Amino acid sequence: MWAQLFEQFINGLVQGGIYALIAVGYTMVYGIIQLINFAHGEIYMFGAYFGLILITVFHIPFWFALPLAMVLCALLGMLIDYVAYRPLRNAPRLSALITAIGISLALQNLARIIWSATPKTYPSDDLPSLFVSGISDAGEVINVIPLPGGGTLPYRDVFILLIAVALMIILNLLIYYTRIGKAMRACAQNATAANLMGINANRVILATFAIGSALGAVAGVMVGLSENVTPNMGYYKGVAAFAAAVLGGIGSVTGAIVGGLLIGIAEAFGADLHSGYRIAFAYIIMILVILIRPTGLFGKATSKRA
Amino acid sequence: MRMWCVGLLIIGLIAFSGCQPSDKTADNDTDNATDDTQEAQQELKIAVAAPLTGGSAAFGEMIQKGAELKQKEINEAGGINGRMLTIVFKDDAGKESEATLVAERIVNDKEILAVVGHFNSRCTLSGQDIYDRAGIVEFSPGSTNVTVCELSKWTFRNLYRDDFQGKFIAQYIDNELTDIETVAVFFHNDDYGRGLRDAFVAEVEKTELTLVASEAYEEDTTNFKAQLTSIKAKKPDAIFISGLYAQAGLIVKQAREAGITSQFFGADGIDNEVFLTTAGARATEGTYITTPFLFGEDDPKATEMAANFEEHHNVPPDTWAALTYDAIGMIAEALEKTYNPEAELAENRSAIREHLAAIDTPEEGYKGVTGLTYFDHNGDTVNKPAYVKVVRDGKFVRAEKQLLELK
Repeated sequence: MWAQLFEQFINGLVQGGIYALIAVGYTMVYGIIQLINFAHGEIYMFGAYFGLILITVFHIPFWFALPLAMVLCALLGMLIDYVAYRPLRNAPRLSALITAIGISLALQNLARIIWSATPKTYPSDDLPSLFVSGISDAGEVINVIPLPGGGTLPYRDVFILLIAVALMIILNLLIYYTRIGKAMRACAQNATAANLMGINANRVILATFAIGSALGAVAGVMVGLSENVTPNMGYYKGVAAFAAAVLGGIGSVTGAIVGGLLIGIAEAFGADLHSGYRIAFAYIIMILVILIRPTGLFGKATSKRA
Repeated sequence: MRMWCVGLLIIGLIAFSGCQPSDKTADNDTDNATDDTQEAQQELKIAVAAPLTGGSAAFGEMIQKGAELKQKEINEAGGINGRMLTIVFKDDAGKESEATLVAERIVNDKEILAVVGHFNSRCTLSGQDIYDRAGIVEFSPGSTNVTVCELSKWTFRNLYRDDFQGKFIAQYIDNELTDIETVAVFFHNDDYGRGLRDAFVAEVEKTELTLVASEAYEEDTTNFKAQLTSIKAKKPDAIFISGLYAQAGLIVKQAREAGITSQFFGADGIDNEVFLTTAGARATEGTYITTPFLFGEDDPKATEMAANFEEHHNVPPDTWAALTYDAIGMIAEALEKTYNPEAELAENRSAIREHLAAIDTPEEGYKGVTGLTYFDHNGDTVNKPAYVKVVRDGKFVRAEKQLLELK
C-alpha cells in the first residue's frame, strides 16, 4: 500500500518536473508582458520534433542534440515574439491573446504538414543506452533504480528530474543575480519605468521568450524519450502546465515550479484512486486553490493594470 | 516593416489553416461540382469519412488506400452502368466534434449518394443522428461498438461487434492460454474502449479467469505510469488493452520499463504497424490481438486484391483497407442496381438503403475479399469470425492457435 503510494509519488514527481519546465515559459512571459502565450505548448512540441530530427536525420548524438534543440526553440520563441507579438505591444491585450491562439493553431498545422500526424518515437538505438529501460533477454528489468516494494524508476526519469532541478536553480540564479535577470524583474514591475531607466524592454522580452522556449525544448525532448511525438502533443501538456502556472500564481517562477509538481503528483494520486478521473483531480485542486487564493499560491495581489 | 510582418502572419495563418487535408478535399469537390454540370451528371459520388489526421490517422490512411483501389478498379472496368464513381474523402480526425461537422457537410452535398464511414465508433455514433435525419446510408468498415447499428436503420457495417470480440478474447485466453489465471483490463475511456471492456469483463466472469484490475485512460494520455503502477500491484498474468494502437504502443513500452512482465492482449484497435514501432520489437513480442480479417493464402480473391493493392500503393494492405474495399464494392453494387438518374436525391439515397437491407441471407450475401457479408435486421454483420494475430520478431503473424467456434 505505502510502497504503491510512494511509487505514485515518484511518478507524479517526474511528470510534475515536465509540467514545471513548461509552466515556467508561460509564467515568465506573463510576468513581463501580461500575455498568456498559448503558442508555448507548440514550442514545446517543436522542441520534441527538433530533438527527433537532429537525432534521426542528422545523426547528432543525444548530448549535443539536446542543447541544439534548446537553441532552435529559443530562436523560434524569439521569432514568434518578433513577428507576432511585438507589433501588438501597445494594442489591446485581447488582440495579443487572439494572436497567440492563432499562432498556436498555425504551428500545430505546420508540424502536421511537415511531419504528418502519425506518432513518432525516438529510436532507442540512437539514445544513450542508459536511457533505454525495459526487460532484458535475461528477464531482468534493466537501467532502472529499484524502489522499495518492487517499483522501478528508470534512469531516464532520474535524469528528467535532475535536469529539471538543475535548470530551475540556474533560472533562479539568472533572475536574481545577473544583469538581464535584474532587467527582467524591472520590466515585470513596470515596463514603462524600466524603459525610462534605459532598459531596452524589447530586448528583455526577447530574452524572456528565448529562455522560456529553451526550457520548453528540454521538456519536449524529455517527453519524447519516454512518450511519443505528435503535432498535437502540445495541447494536453500545455493546458496542464498552464493550470500549473495559474495554481502557483501566474507571473511567479517559484509558483510555476511548485504548481507543476503539485499538478503532476495530484494526477498520479488521482489515477491511483480512480483512473477515469485522473485529470479531473488535478483541476479540482487547482480550482480549490484559486477559490481560496485567487492570485495562486505564490502570486502577489496586484492592482489592476491597463 | 511592422505592417509587413503582420501581413505575412495573416497570410501564413490562412495558408496553414487551409492546408488540412479535410479542407483540401472539400475545396476540390466544390470545384468539380460547379465546374462542369455535364460531367457531374456522368458521375456517381459517394463520401468516405475517416480519421485522416489525429490519433487514428494510421487507420484512415489504409481506409483511403483501400477505397482508392476499389474506385480505380470499378472505373477501369467501365464504371457503374457507364457512370464513373467519384469518392470524396472527408477527415473526421477521429473526434466526435469533427465527425458531426463532416456529417453536416456530407448530407448537405446534393450529389453524395452514400457514406462509407466513419471508423471510430464514437465518430460513427456522433454522425449517426445527422445521417439518420437526412436519410443517407452510413456504412462503417471499422466501428465495432455494440450499439452502432441498433440506433439507426441507416447504419450498416461489415464486421463483427464488440460483444462478440470481447467474448472471443476472453474465451481465447481461457481455452488456449491455460497458464493465465488472472487478468487486468486497461481501457480507453470512449465508446469503443468501454463497450469492448464491458463485453470482455462479462465473459471473464463466466470463465475460470479472475479479473483483478480495471483501469481507464483518456484520449490525450501519453504517460500511463500511474495506472500501470496500480495494475502492477495486482500482479495480473495478462493485461487486455481495450483501445487504439497509439496509446497501446506507449502502454506496452512503459509497462516493460516499470518491470511488468504480464502477457498483453489487444483487439482490432491495435491492428496497426504503429503499435509495433512505438513500443519496439522486444516489448511487444508475444502480444496477441484479434482482427476481423486475415490475408491468407487460401482465398484467391483476397490474394489478388493484396497483389493489386501492393502494386498500386507500394505497401501491403491491412484489415481496414480490405473492409473498406468491400464496403465500397457493396455500395457500388447497390448503385448499379438502384440508381435512377431521373429520381430525386432522397429517393436514390433511400434506394441504396433498401438494397442493402434486403441482403439478409447468406445466399444473397456479398462475396468480397473479407468473406461473405450479409446483414441482420439492425444492419449488423453477425456471421464473420475473428482471427488471432501474434507479434513475432516485431511483426504481426497469424497465431498458431485460432478459435473459430465460440461456446
